[in-house]
Amino acid sequence: MLTEREVISTLNMLRNEHLDVRTVTLGVSLFDCVSHDLDLFTANVQAKISKYAANLVRVCDEIGDKYGIPVVNKRISVSPIAVVGAPFGPDGMVRICKALDQAAKDANVNFLGGFSALVEKGFTTGDRALIEALPEALASTERICSSINVASSRSGINMDAVALMGRQILNVAEATKENGGLGCAKLVVFANIPQDVPFMAGAYLGIGEPDVVINVGVSGPGVVKKAIDRAIEGRGDDFTIMDVAEVIKRTAFKVTRVGEMIGKEVAKRLNIPFGVADLSLAPTPAVGDSVGEIFQSVGLSSIGAPGTTAVLAMLNDCVKKGGAFASSSVGGLSGAFIPVSEDSSIEAAATAGLLSLEKLEAMTSVCSVGLDMIAIPGDTPASTISGIIADEMAIGMINHKTTAVRLIPVPGMGVGEVVNFGGLLGKAAIIPVPRGDSTGFINFGGRIPAPIHSLKN
Amino acid sequence: MHKLSASFLGRDCTGVVACVTSLMEKTHCDIVEVSQTILAGEFAAIFIINAPDSLSIDAAMREFSTGLSEAGIDLSVIVRPAAEGTWSASQQCEPFVVTAHGPDRPGLIAAMSRVFARHGINIENLKAILGEGGDNQALFVFEVKVPESMDLGRLRRELIAEGQRLDLLISVQHRDIFEAVHRIQPI
Repeated sequence: MLTEREVISTLNMLRNEHLDVRTVTLGVSLFDCVSHDLDLFTANVQAKISKYAANLVRVCDEIGDKYGIPVVNKRISVSPIAVVGAPFGPDGMVRICKALDQAAKDANVNFLGGFSALVEKGFTTGDRALIEALPEALASTERICSSINVASSRSGINMDAVALMGRQILNVAEATKENGGLGCAKLVVFANIPQDVPFMAGAYLGIGEPDVVINVGVSGPGVVKKAIDRAIEGRGDDFTIMDVAEVIKRTAFKVTRVGEMIGKEVAKRLNIPFGVADLSLAPTPAVGDSVGEIFQSVGLSSIGAPGTTAVLAMLNDCVKKGGAFASSSVGGLSGAFIPVSEDSSIEAAATAGLLSLEKLEAMTSVCSVGLDMIAIPGDTPASTISGIIADEMAIGMINHKTTAVRLIPVPGMGVGEVVNFGGLLGKAAIIPVPRGDSTGFINFGGRIPAPIHSLKN
Repeated sequence: MHKLSASFLGRDCTGVVACVTSLMEKTHCDIVEVSQTILAGEFAAIFIINAPDSLSIDAAMREFSTGLSEAGIDLSVIVRPAAEGTWSASQQCEPFVVTAHGPDRPGLIAAMSRVFARHGINIENLKAILGEGGDNQALFVFEVKVPESMDLGRLRRELIAEGQRLDLLISVQHRDIFEAVHRIQPI
């Protein structure tokens, strides 16, 4: 027999606190599709994706119905295309991207990730072709996401790739200028990219992963916020920040259990192995589904106020602790996301000047990803974008964590103007980038060596 | 030995369980299963007992009633033969939790229950939580066993339609989700 509290608490999480399974992502390896013939390769790719993804959406919806937990997004991640499509040039890469887009549409998934290259130590011809193809590939497709890993703690930072990506981000923005540079919302530059992320735009299926796998991304910033609010409302005299940490940890446990349960059942029904549950507090623009609001609950006037980095560090850590206890298969990014345009509260703080790019960078040293969905002026020099990327990659490299950059230089727009990407991607006011010139540094090229792994202070 | 079900209902007070079980001990009855609850100060308990063949149903009723009366405890007693097996054992069922939330008024449980009855769904636990979500609001929690052959989509549509008629917000969820979220399963 269930207790009153168990029933009421579960209903509240669903009805009032936006608990959902944010994504079920089917990973499909494309290594067995490889061919020197482009037509044969794309046919193989489409056939394999179709074989495994045909029932993905239906099964996710049925299981979501059974448990009363909506599976909001169904997605696909594939092997890095720069590797499996290595023989092909930029034109071939564009055709592959279009074939993947068609496969995503056929499977009725809203995004497919894996138009990716891993270049932290250097480029192959496939890597160069894919990166060169990015503007046309992202402009001529709807559902394809791309990630480029340019740094790792073991290899250092490929500064040639950092310089190249600074230029290509501007080119992608230009190629998609009718939509405010929307292509850049589907392009992420990473350090230490995980192989099993289910969340977009960084999802791809790593080389060490199984042939097919189901990974699940659970969210729930609203659930965490409401749990903190309730605890604070009923607090006694001895209530401290440690009690808040405990509330976050326990809430993360509950949310992860939901994701793991649904993920495992989807995997079982599709006869595909279950991979990981990625517990990330991933906000949406909806009120009550915001990471930024959590900061107000713990006594900051707004995200960005002094103390923000400390709160984010605690939040990120507690989410990992709760998630790790709830599931033996926690993976992906698992932490708190701070995507500016996708979170109404973070966006409001950035628009009001309470949250600068510099503060966001500091926060990324303790959050689970990085500088995410930040609209910057369209005339930002490529070297400045590269400089921002280099700084962010350095944080990831030195701290042995994933960091990423998803900047959107909005063509024709300047500081203070508002760009609306629509849907989950939200809207954002363009914020200023740090002043100063990075050209000389970026022009060096080469590689920043991997850091020492001892003498840690 | 023969299997009996003995039910006790009345005002709760200390010593009720001690008195009832002592009477069973005295009449050489073996308690097989028991479930007991208190609601608004009213005590209710069902015992499944193995009684000696020499103790008939009428004799058991007499022994229990007299014993309680002598101890000054005011409980009604019903003893009847206990049937073997359970309803859900006859077919494959899945446990679901149906909740109905909205303004309270007479007839809500009856209306919801009629939908379950029409579909051959058994209610295994029913709870009404009054005042949840505001004054005159009620949350009804039905723990039900749904035959696997049941069209869940159709059941959900009918329950939601009934809910709309009664101004109730309906949810239908597999029970496992509640346990997964709140309980650490024993190893």
